[in-house]
Amino acid sequence: MFCIAALLILSVLGIFSARYRSLAKDALDCVLRRVTLRPCITGFDEKMKSRILGRVINRSERAARFLNRNFELLAWVFFILVLGSTVYAARGLYLFYVTGSCNGLNQESFCVFDPKGENNEVTDISQGCKENPPTAADLTLKGVDLSRFPVCNPAGKKEIVLIGCYGCSYTRKIYAPLKELAAARGARFRFLDYPVKVSTTLSARLAECVYRRDEARYWQLNDILFAAAPEQLDDPEFAGKAAMQLGLDWGDLGGCVEDPAVQALVDRRMDEIAKTRFYGTPTVFIGNQVFVGPKPRRVYAIALDGLFYWLKGDGGSRSEGR
Amino acid sequence: MDVEAVRRDFPILEKNGADGVIYLDNACQSLRPRAVIDAINGYYLTTSACSGRSMHRLAEEVSRQLDQTRAAVASFLNASRKEEIIFTRNTTEGINLVAHALDVGEKDVILVSDKEHNSNLLPWQLLTQRTGAALGIVSSLDDNSFDLAAFEKLLDDRVKLVCLGYTSNLDGVSIPAREIVKMTHDHGALVLFDAAQAAPHRRIEVKALDVDFVAFSGHKMLGPSGTGILFGKYPLLEQMRPFMVGGGTVSSSTYEGCEFLPPPEKFEAGLHDYGGIIGLGAAVAYLQRIGFDAIERQELLLNRYLTEALRESPRIRLIGPAAPELRGGIFSFHLPGIDPHRIALMLDQMAKVMVRSGQHCVHSWFNKHSIAGSVRASAYFYNTIEEAEVFVRCLRKIEKVL
Ligand SMILES: Cc1ncc(COP(=O)(O)O)c(C=O)c1O
Repeated sequence: MFCIAALLILSVLGIFSARYRSLAKDALDCVLRRVTLRPCITGFDEKMKSRILGRVINRSERAARFLNRNFELLAWVFFILVLGSTVYAARGLYLFYVTGSCNGLNQESFCVFDPKGENNEVTDISQGCKENPPTAADLTLKGVDLSRFPVCNPAGKKEIVLIGCYGCSYTRKIYAPLKELAAARGARFRFLDYPVKVSTTLSARLAECVYRRDEARYWQLNDILFAAAPEQLDDPEFAGKAAMQLGLDWGDLGGCVEDPAVQALVDRRMDEIAKTRFYGTPTVFIGNQVFVGPKPRRVYAIALDGLFYWLKGDGGSRSEGR
Repeated sequence: MDVEAVRRDFPILEKNGADGVIYLDNACQSLRPRAVIDAINGYYLTTSACSGRSMHRLAEEVSRQLDQTRAAVASFLNASRKEEIIFTRNTTEGINLVAHALDVGEKDVILVSDKEHNSNLLPWQLLTQRTGAALGIVSSLDDNSFDLAAFEKLLDDRVKLVCLGYTSNLDGVSIPAREIVKMTHDHGALVLFDAAQAAPHRRIEVKALDVDFVAFSGHKMLGPSGTGILFGKYPLLEQMRPFMVGGGTVSSSTYEGCEFLPPPEKFEAGLHDYGGIIGLGAAVAYLQRIGFDAIERQELLLNRYLTEALRESPRIRLIGPAAPELRGGIFSFHLPGIDPHRIALMLDQMAKVMVRSGQHCVHSWFNKHSIAGSVRASAYFYNTIEEAEVFVRCLRKIEKVL
């Protein structure tokens, strides 16, 4: 039993040091012999037991005596602990791969693979403390009229819905990869702009006005806005330049942008978005899954096409940057 | 002898306290003083050439140093002439050389004791199987010391050769060499001493002993690993056929035959470990400088301490006679029911105390006595009482815990 537990640990340590690698080899030999009911000729378990006893005895003779008498039992306990933690670690790794968090989708508890919790960071929209703040489980697209929002690749079967805002740094992280992923995987892509930062309402209105004139240009404008420095987003001069870049007439567009009716429409859209009960950007809906925070691209790809999405071909896997 | 000063000659002993090692495995290999290491390096750094075969100055220098070493070893053993000294790789090779080179017939008997190292047992087992000769085993006394009476009983005119470990690696017990040689010669037989454990610790005077062959290893007496010496009386060597043959053993050869060189060349086939042999010369010089009186005194001091300190231990079973004077630098013991390797591993882990555990290549003795193995602490002149104290302290703890 000791050999198996030791093999597990030494195999991991062996990745880093040749000394442990040779011990791991001995442990493996011992395990193989144990499973075929032959004695362990390398004497690995005996060797390790003696070394451990030698260390413990220097600190406490009583502890060494206890260890000597109960070594097999302790080896079992140790094995179960190692096995438990190995299973737990494997689960964490799997969950991280699939959801971007070690403890399951949108779970913010500590994850070694994402120690800063970047995959769950959001720009918070809640002002002050709410008594019962919504959680990921409350998020839904039910009752939300998505037809009011622009859609890219309308012919796609599956759909990615991104709630975000032009000025929010976490949305900025995933807008382009998500749009590219939708294109690569033939999914519909909706961007629901929710200007969390008040200073981006100009962008929201500009986007609405451009959309009214030309849907294709709307998506180009989004690319421009997400690439711009956040402080430019509410700058009319920048808005004018963006319009020019898109080949649109600012004289005509400027009137629309300043039209209170457009602001009202933006507000209504925000009310519509709020029905999802989302609490931060970005929030992404794919099928019946919701992703809060900027996940690695693969997480969205898995949600669209399953764990083996890459087998189905993915022209965009180059852009897996995280 | 100033032990502290001597210790400074050994690079491995430079570290002290918790960082230092306590080396009590000298019966396996001794440590090497800087003088030996420098001599080996000296060969590789300054000459690094063949001996004898080539005519250039580097070769000449190597030949000179080898010759000097041969002479130094001859003087170390007080041999009649340096040609009686054959360079080997170790004790085992020396014994095998004699086992192959000596004429032994099916009527002959070879005698060994019941506690020989495999290196002084197996060559004779194979020889008797090859030739049909008989192998006689001399049993030891109850305390594991040599039984002269039993020996005398086995000694008859059929005995061709008596091969005995001069000092046992199992328990450190030495045999009454002088009497054994005399009794053997009285029966017209020859004597070979396996001096692997004797040469490092006591003066062996081959002329005074009148012994016929002596084999020992350099690595147990401060010399480099893989160096050894076989001493043989010149007239005997002359009569013996060569063991390994090839380059360096003949003066000339034709397609049909060859003309062998006289001893020792006849027995030194192939290119040798020149650096090692020169290092062995330095080891011999070092030992002579320290002197065997001082060496024996320090070993006895240590063994007396160990024996006294562990005498009362309830579970420790000493192998060999109780008196430390009879066991040289060796303290060999077992704890019934406890794997000796475990004790050795624990000693290493606890305080970097290095001892040997197992059957020490004397399987036959352990099998006869149904003992799984022993732990053997073997001291040398550079070991200190403080080191022995640490060993005893650790051992007492282990005894309590296991
Ligand atoms: C008594 C005795 N004989 C022979 C040998 C064999 O020596 P080597 O291995 O150097 O040939 C040893 C080595 O431990 C020994 O102790």
